[in-house]
Amino acid sequence: MMPNQNKFIENIRTALGKGSTPAFSDLYGGHRAKDAVQALRKKTTENQIQLVETFQQNAKELNLHTHVVASLSGAEKVIVEIIRSKTPEFSHQKHVVCHDHPDIAGLELWKRFNRESVTVHTTFHPDSQAREKTLASFVGITAADFGIAESATIVQLTRQGRPRSTSLVPSIHIAILRRENLVANLNEAYALLQESKNLDSFVFISGPSKTADIEAHLVHGAHGPYEMHVILISEPFLFPVDEEIQEANSKTSEGIEQE
Amino acid sequence: MSTNKHSSYREEAQKGIDSARLQSNLSNLQNRFGKGVMRYWEEMEDKGMRSRVKNARMRTFEHLDTILTELAKNVRARGGQVYFAETAQDAIDYTLSVARKQKVTKVVKGKSMTSMELDIDPALEKEGIEVVETDLGEYIVQLAGSTPSHIIAPCIHMDRKQIGELFADKLDIDYTDDPPTLTLAARKALREKLLSADMGITGCNLACAETGHVSLVSNEGNIRMATTMPKVHVALMGLERVVATLDEHREALQLLTRAAAMQKLSTYVSFSGGPSKKDDPDGPEEFHLVIIDNGRSKILADPEFREVLACIRCGACLNICPVYGKIGGHAYNYPYCGPIGAVLTPLLDGVNKHADLCKGETLCGACKDICPVNNDLPRMLSGLRQKLAYGSDRWNVKQHNLTEGYIYRLWRTITSNSFLYRTGVRLGRLIQRPFIGNNKLIEKMPSIGGAWTKDRDLPPIAPKTFAEIWRKKQRLKPTPAAPASREEK
Repeated sequence: MMPNQNKFIENIRTALGKGSTPAFSDLYGGHRAKDAVQALRKKTTENQIQLVETFQQNAKELNLHTHVVASLSGAEKVIVEIIRSKTPEFSHQKHVVCHDHPDIAGLELWKRFNRESVTVHTTFHPDSQAREKTLASFVGITAADFGIAESATIVQLTRQGRPRSTSLVPSIHIAILRRENLVANLNEAYALLQESKNLDSFVFISGPSKTADIEAHLVHGAHGPYEMHVILISEPFLFPVDEEIQEANSKTSEGIEQE
Repeated sequence: MSTNKHSSYREEAQKGIDSARLQSNLSNLQNRFGKGVMRYWEEMEDKGMRSRVKNARMRTFEHLDTILTELAKNVRARGGQVYFAETAQDAIDYTLSVARKQKVTKVVKGKSMTSMELDIDPALEKEGIEVVETDLGEYIVQLAGSTPSHIIAPCIHMDRKQIGELFADKLDIDYTDDPPTLTLAARKALREKLLSADMGITGCNLACAETGHVSLVSNEGNIRMATTMPKVHVALMGLERVVATLDEHREALQLLTRAAAMQKLSTYVSFSGGPSKKDDPDGPEEFHLVIIDNGRSKILADPEFREVLACIRCGACLNICPVYGKIGGHAYNYPYCGPIGAVLTPLLDGVNKHADLCKGETLCGACKDICPVNNDLPRMLSGLRQKLAYGSDRWNVKQHNLTEGYIYRLWRTITSNSFLYRTGVRLGRLIQRPFIGNNKLIEKMPSIGGAWTKDRDLPPIAPKTFAEIWRKKQRLKPTPAAPASREEK
């Protein structure tokens, strides 16, 4: 403990008229949300469909676009359409940056654009040029760890291969969210967070960046993306698919080397 | 000093009242958010949430030594650095030392009231460091060389025309008063700053001790940018901006975003508490958390005012206060304005120095009704007035207005002696005559009374007292009928 910390804490103790400092675990230990986590793992398909509807309803008022698709190939169509129809904001070339995630690798985006001038990057680890690639991209594609229906929110935990900037710096953010990873409300989301060990940085995102600082006039795209899409995939994440995706993953990196 | 501040409150308040632009912007804001939040409190299902959060906040203060130690421990465990700053100067010095060590040349700031309380910008600029506010409203205010006038709507005192002219001048674009075009111009200018800065300075909405995180809310994304892209992130937090557990965080966060802008959640809620790890793809190389006292432990020590530390800085009290709604934020002369500012500013920066603030409020109670954590601001405003009237050693308050004290003592003597009182009233009736205007009100009083009648008229002393009228009526009415028999008719 640094000396200034001792003095600082001592000042607080004096202010509170306290002699001793009880341990944090004695004051706030014990209570954990295990039950809540177990309950939310047992959601039926019907529950999940209902949550998707709630998510979509709440997304509307945030100008957050939602797309419900059955499987990854449906997601791929949506993404390809967005990339084809939109114009880059800060450059003349179409660059796209993707999180290193099996669900995104499974889209095999590089195949769709092999005849067009679209460059698809993936944020593999380690990559010293990840920042430049992100800055060059007008679309960022991420996979959400989970979603919250009540507030149309996606939650992203920072991990290897999944930078924070992918959902922040490009003009358009597309997030892929498996329906099975949708929880009802903030209570359930926090229960999941409490359960995860070694929480690094994480973020809740509810819609595109916005401001109303000039005469309370709502404008999207203050600093973050001006447009955001969430693609809700009904199909659950299946482990057997994993191997194919591993393969796809290695192909993706080759795809990038060629660019 | 006190006279300076005195005139400044008056002058700034007058300016606010005279500005049609401010009046219309504030009235829109209050109609939408003040009323909207009150409606939400009435309709919300979980009505216990507000008092739960308040109780949790107060319990946190009881164990603040433990909780801040835990927070520091958990941030350090993640590789973050924690500095405890007793004074504003300590916090500035520490931040400067970090900036020097990292050879920082450009700082981007994400809306931090605390940084304004510290007044850190001039110190950074003196070192040759460029300081850029990145919240759109604060950027506009910074370009204009002005100060924010609302906690979450910093440029509420400006209109699109002014902003258009400002941008045409400073950003070298063609004049436009179209908000989307103006926002886009700022987006471009600020993106360049955000991506090239080497230090991000933010505040902290709520730190969570249990997990060792600082959480920040924003709609624009500037705070995420400022905490992700530069190589150093410095978070400045007042020692009270902490909750113990994630559970407590959840509820406090919901009240914050609801009360601030009627949102379920703000667009971004980001949690960070350390430098980026080895296999993290981005994020700052260094993370510094500066925990600041700067007068707060003194507030903590006083049971009369400890409650004010429970404030979660949502700004809701500004959106309902009839005084703030007329005079605007600049009159408060400090980063914290509105009812919360009227309590907090004197406690942090001197009760005598900011004597006008607590006296300017009306004690109508609206701020208490809207406060997400039920802070009894009117009670504390009265408490501050009491300190000013009688002086206080604890708060180092001198009796604010001795003349006022004498007048009240004289008044007490007169009113407690019936001969003196009656004579005084009769005398008053005579003296007031020349001052009664055409509207039958006293429009102008001489000497110190002049301040009273400057903005309002005073009803004159009536020709007869109530007792005199009553006695006369009794005399004219020889047989008063019993009320019961009258009703039976």
